[in-house]
Amino acid sequence: MSKCKLLWLTSISCNGNAHSFLNYPHIQTFLNDFEFVYHPILESTYTLQEILEQELKCDIVLLEGAISQEFSKLDISITDTLLRYAKSAKAIVTVGTCATFGGIFKDSGYSNASGLHYIKDTKHHRYDELLSKTVSISGCPVQPEVLAETLYAIKDDMALKLDEYQRVKEFFAYTVHNGCIRNEYFEYKVDNHQFGEKEGCMFYDHGCQAPFTRGSCNKLLWNETNSKTRNGEPCHGCSEPNFPTTNLYKTQKNMGIPQNMPLGVNKRAYLTLAGVTKAFKIKRLEEDLF
Amino acid sequence: MKTIQLIEKIEGEATLKFSYNGVKIDFVDIEFFNTRNIENILLNKPALDALVINPRVCGVCGHAHLQATAKALEDCIDGLTLPNKAKIIRELSLNFEIIQNHFKWFYMTIMPLLGYKDVYIKALYPSQTINKAIATIAGQYPHNSYAIVGGIVSEVTTMDLVRLKSLIDEVVEFFEKEVLQSSIANLQECDNVDLLLSRDGDVPKVLHHLKNQNLYSLGKSYDRFIVFGSSSYFESGKSNKTRVTKSLDTKYIKEIPNQTSKAKNITYKDKYFEVGPLSRAMLKKTPLIKDAHRKYGDSIFSRIIARACEIPQLLLHSKDLISQIDLNEPSYIEPSVEISHLSGTGVGIVEAARGSLIHKVNLQNGIIKDYQIITPTQWNLGNGTKESLAIAQKAMVGLDDEHTAELVFKTFDVCSVCTTH
Repeated sequence: MSKCKLLWLTSISCNGNAHSFLNYPHIQTFLNDFEFVYHPILESTYTLQEILEQELKCDIVLLEGAISQEFSKLDISITDTLLRYAKSAKAIVTVGTCATFGGIFKDSGYSNASGLHYIKDTKHHRYDELLSKTVSISGCPVQPEVLAETLYAIKDDMALKLDEYQRVKEFFAYTVHNGCIRNEYFEYKVDNHQFGEKEGCMFYDHGCQAPFTRGSCNKLLWNETNSKTRNGEPCHGCSEPNFPTTNLYKTQKNMGIPQNMPLGVNKRAYLTLAGVTKAFKIKRLEEDLF
Repeated sequence: MKTIQLIEKIEGEATLKFSYNGVKIDFVDIEFFNTRNIENILLNKPALDALVINPRVCGVCGHAHLQATAKALEDCIDGLTLPNKAKIIRELSLNFEIIQNHFKWFYMTIMPLLGYKDVYIKALYPSQTINKAIATIAGQYPHNSYAIVGGIVSEVTTMDLVRLKSLIDEVVEFFEKEVLQSSIANLQECDNVDLLLSRDGDVPKVLHHLKNQNLYSLGKSYDRFIVFGSSSYFESGKSNKTRVTKSLDTKYIKEIPNQTSKAKNITYKDKYFEVGPLSRAMLKKTPLIKDAHRKYGDSIFSRIIARACEIPQLLLHSKDLISQIDLNEPSYIEPSVEISHLSGTGVGIVEAARGSLIHKVNLQNGIIKDYQIITPTQWNLGNGTKESLAIAQKAMVGLDDEHTAELVFKTFDVCSVCTTH
């Protein structure tokens, strides 16, 4: 059987998603099933020049980086290249937050820089004709398993449930909070008093955005090993439309209450619950774990 | 005659425009064409946000950018105490990033360029394994922001150290089996490059290839090296041929815009210097690399062996660092000043995979008012004039053809995204 042909196009980016993908544990098997017509690091069937100047066959276009008509390679605009290949491709996958929502590099100074369909959370409608075949995988960078498994599902015509930003629900219906080993501290409202400690939740003071950020960081784990929040770093919300927000290591509060509530939680209900949990005073959670 | 070549798979692209004087290349215009203006993106953001933005300069050496950022911000604070444990763990994770980079460069860039097929896949196992070591202490790879002003966010445990040692040992085993069939401890002592050539493995295979094809002496530049970052392993200083000067001052560094490329040229006391593994080995006087340099000068032979053989050095040194960790020390000491009120300037320097990386910041009331990044590839891949060639240009002038020039160019381990940031 012929392999599914992938074209990886890099726009305004840091190459972080391309490197993250190299950490996919089953990459050798993956390459038995997929062929990179072009990839910015891996051995590819064609050179970039051939990709830019010709129209070669590909099944799925992967876009990494924010796009702008003004950004070009060999004097050919990246958006022209993208549209040329996207027309006949079966699907377009936006790889990473820049390609999906604009991310950090929408601010690089190129005119109208954005994600493929969104600038932050607003649809810009410039490429609406591609919307029905777009699948978004946000994250800065994306987790390699999320990308590889989504590509398999597209290749094999498996049904994908997508959220309002075309993100695969199986990965993005969860919050980064799901699976964090600090959850008990969150439940009983025990702050993380200082960085560098195993104990405590970082939502209350240290800017952790995990309870309102969709992603699988604590479900799949990074490098099959760990995650930011498990390690003691606040989640910076890197898979969400408004990444990067500001003051990323400090929780913004109004009258002592975190400005952003856990996903779907009403502020008044939160206050009531917070009052109750404060009454617990759990000695085990106030002490060092070990 | 003039020809143009698009160089790809260098974390982006660059264009080399060759001029020929008869049969030899007599000038190369090195153009990087896409910039992302990270320094502008940082303006008017709160200081600590730079710890999250800056790793995104580069998908392969973002960790070095993180640490340079943390150091630059820390430099703004008088009398800041950094726990020794945090220093060691930062160094470890930076070593690991350098190691994964060198494996990728050797198997994905150098070997394919020399015509070896299906070797790129060999980079994946050791780089994935050492990246797990980064994730163990830094949360994930790429793009973590675990180094913060005052230390690190993680509290490393006994079992983390056990895991780190196992992961390092797995990479050591791979290196000794595939890359160079010798014990890495013996390699550390080795001061004769001919002994290394008598071994099996992919590094000797490549070096023999260079010798057989008469490529080994190509790619010589000015024989001037500089290392700004120092650590428990790397030594800072500069050398001109073999004359070494230890004291350096960043005030002598100049960033000069050039006409065709988006990347600025960098000089020290108005001279171009090479940075990277060969420079580090020259300053540290690593016996094996000194011998290669004595025999082959600052050629691609020396550059390749210096980069490849930095892997075992850093693996061994990392094991030593792990044994120095005192888990009872804190990971983080809260700075005595509020960063949101901090004003001042700071410089952060680290040795990244490709050489010295320098970040400079100016803060006013905790807000970034100026930020400057000088990357290793700017040192090596500057675009000078015919009268004053930069390092890689000098190394390519005089060659016969573009393919060889591409090989020479890529021995500097080119990173387009860093160069233009």
